[in-house]
Amino acid sequence: MKSNQTLDAWSRLAEAVRAVPDDRPTAAPFGFSTRVAALALGAERFKASLLERFAFRAISCACLLAIGSVLLNFSAITAEVRVEAVADDDDLVAVLLAE
Amino acid sequence: MPQPDAPPFDLAGCLEGVRRRDQAAARALVDHLYPLVIRIVRSHRPRRVAEEDLAQDIFLKMFTRIEQYQGAVPFPHWVSRIAVTTCIDQLRAQKRRPEFRWADLSEGEADVAEAVMTNENDVAVNDAMAAHELVHRLLDQLNPDDQVVIRLLDLEQKSIAEIATLTGWNQSLIKVRAFRARRKLRRLFLDLQREENS
Repeated sequence: MKSNQTLDAWSRLAEAVRAVPDDRPTAAPFGFSTRVAALALGAERFKASLLERFAFRAISCACLLAIGSVLLNFSAITAEVRVEAVADDDDLVAVLLAE
Repeated sequence: MPQPDAPPFDLAGCLEGVRRRDQAAARALVDHLYPLVIRIVRSHRPRRVAEEDLAQDIFLKMFTRIEQYQGAVPFPHWVSRIAVTTCIDQLRAQKRRPEFRWADLSEGEADVAEAVMTNENDVAVNDAMAAHELVHRLLDQLNPDDQVVIRLLDLEQKSIAEIATLTGWNQSLIKVRAFRARRKLRRLFLDLQREENS
């Protein structure tokens, strides 16, 4: 078989396939659009709710860390406040001697 | 199929509704685009993938990317491109290609192959199913990109420019792919002929 004949074989086969119209229905099956719409829009809502949930967790963690750090450094903070309170008007030597 | 006296589909309004997360608008959009998508799926899907599953994947991709749609091309063209590229991805995912041997052809497929190779008989209309199967078997031997090009060119008779729009490939690349695919098809027919004669 010559090469142009084989090319013709494909052309003839393609022509035979094209000659038969595809008459299968093209309308969406029942419930298809509802399922796809729910999956598409529902998935995004799920993503948003995940984000919200993680955001609240992050806020809670941040609050706990803030409270913990205040508790850990409480003595240092109060000491500093005491020094500041003393520094304004009182005689520092007198205060230190009194302590 | 739309009724002749039905009002034209309000695509812009529907897209606006989808962007507002309106389920009814999303359903209407899917129903409107389903015929377009299913035709592409039926032409290009790998045989092992269910057409409804593939159509669903395409619509989900469409909804995920809908914010990226700028209106530079008509919306159905944009969706067609998503559909074609999704089908190509599915074809690429199907790594194993079945062998193509004369002995594996059904009786009908062998008759069709003989008819087209000898050019003595026309392919009978009742052999259409066998002709479809034979085409599938032949195209399964090509790489996914070549398969898509040859289907669009020879079976759907699209122009090179239309294929470029659908796939995003440049026209020279499409011509190269078509040339390569036809050369491979020619080789397959020669092998088939040799096997038949042996």
